[in-house]
Amino acid sequence: MFDFLRGLAILVAFYLLGMLLHRWGVPIPGGVLGLLLLYFALLSGIVNFHWVERAAGFLLRHMVLLFIPLTVGLMDMGGLLSRQALAIFASLLVSFLAVLLTTGLLGRWLFTQNGDAEISQ
Amino acid sequence: MTVAAILANPALTIVLTVAAYSLALALHRRWRGIPPLVAACIPVIAFLLLVREPYAAYNRGGNLLSWWLGPATVALAAPMFRHGRALRWSLPRLAIIVLAGSIVGMVTAGVTAWLLGAPLPVIMSTIPKSVTTPIAIEVCRELKGIPQITIALVILAGILGASFGPWLLRLVGVRDDRSIGAAIGTASHGVGTASLVRHSEMQATVSSWAMAAAGVFTSLLAAILALFLR
Repeated sequence: MFDFLRGLAILVAFYLLGMLLHRWGVPIPGGVLGLLLLYFALLSGIVNFHWVERAAGFLLRHMVLLFIPLTVGLMDMGGLLSRQALAIFASLLVSFLAVLLTTGLLGRWLFTQNGDAEISQ
Repeated sequence: MTVAAILANPALTIVLTVAAYSLALALHRRWRGIPPLVAACIPVIAFLLLVREPYAAYNRGGNLLSWWLGPATVALAAPMFRHGRALRWSLPRLAIIVLAGSIVGMVTAGVTAWLLGAPLPVIMSTIPKSVTTPIAIEVCRELKGIPQITIALVILAGILGASFGPWLLRLVGVRDDRSIGAAIGTASHGVGTASLVRHSEMQATVSSWAMAAAGVFTSLLAAILALFLR
């Protein structure tokens, strides 16, 4: 339990730090700044991975719970959604295919050209 | 005491939401095909319609839960770090792939919505649709979009990737584990990644890293876009 709370406190601390930097004018969302700061803190060994492992796993596993309140707001948007349905869904489909094919084909080109098989099998 | 008076306590949002979420998890365990978010939102919406309460009444305590999306975003550093260690030598190439995918995703989503005549807030809501929900919501807010539309699109992008992603990739001859992982992680975030775990450890590892990196790149690119919009 203590492990978990300590991890949670560290995540919150990095989030607040990110928010602070955002408030001071860094144009990236506070959460993403916190992510980057924690990533570099982990890489440099300032934060031990085991301190945050459990709390991070918990938040990521139950993330769906956290965006239920926002999503329920869709109930007020029936009008807008039905008027813009074509634009919204076409954009989803086109963009999904474009991303998947760009990354997949670029990956095939970059990862298989020099026959390196270090970790892929 | 009226329903409104009970609903006026912000803590009730938590009770209702956690109850709906537990129900959704139970349904999801039995029928894998039901997305937990959909299964959780439908009973809440049905309840609100039944007692004739507006969304605002339910959402008074919404921030008590939504606020944690921030720390949840920070938590993505953990899988990114763990999987990054395993992928060391591929990381520069992976980063290039994810960056390219993120740019293509944002541009194609925005341009398609614009060509079909969507108003600006709707266009902005489609732009972060490939990345994991907490980051997509933040990016959507920075761009002055409508978070609810973004959430719906993010979930659908995840389902598309989990259902058809690997098949589509095979169709165009993408077969190696790292490319499949990078493509699914960039296009379909956590939902796509979870679907890969059953097939290959390597695909899931690359996909986890790609999903976090796509979130970071998309926020950076959106920050640049936001500068032009001012």
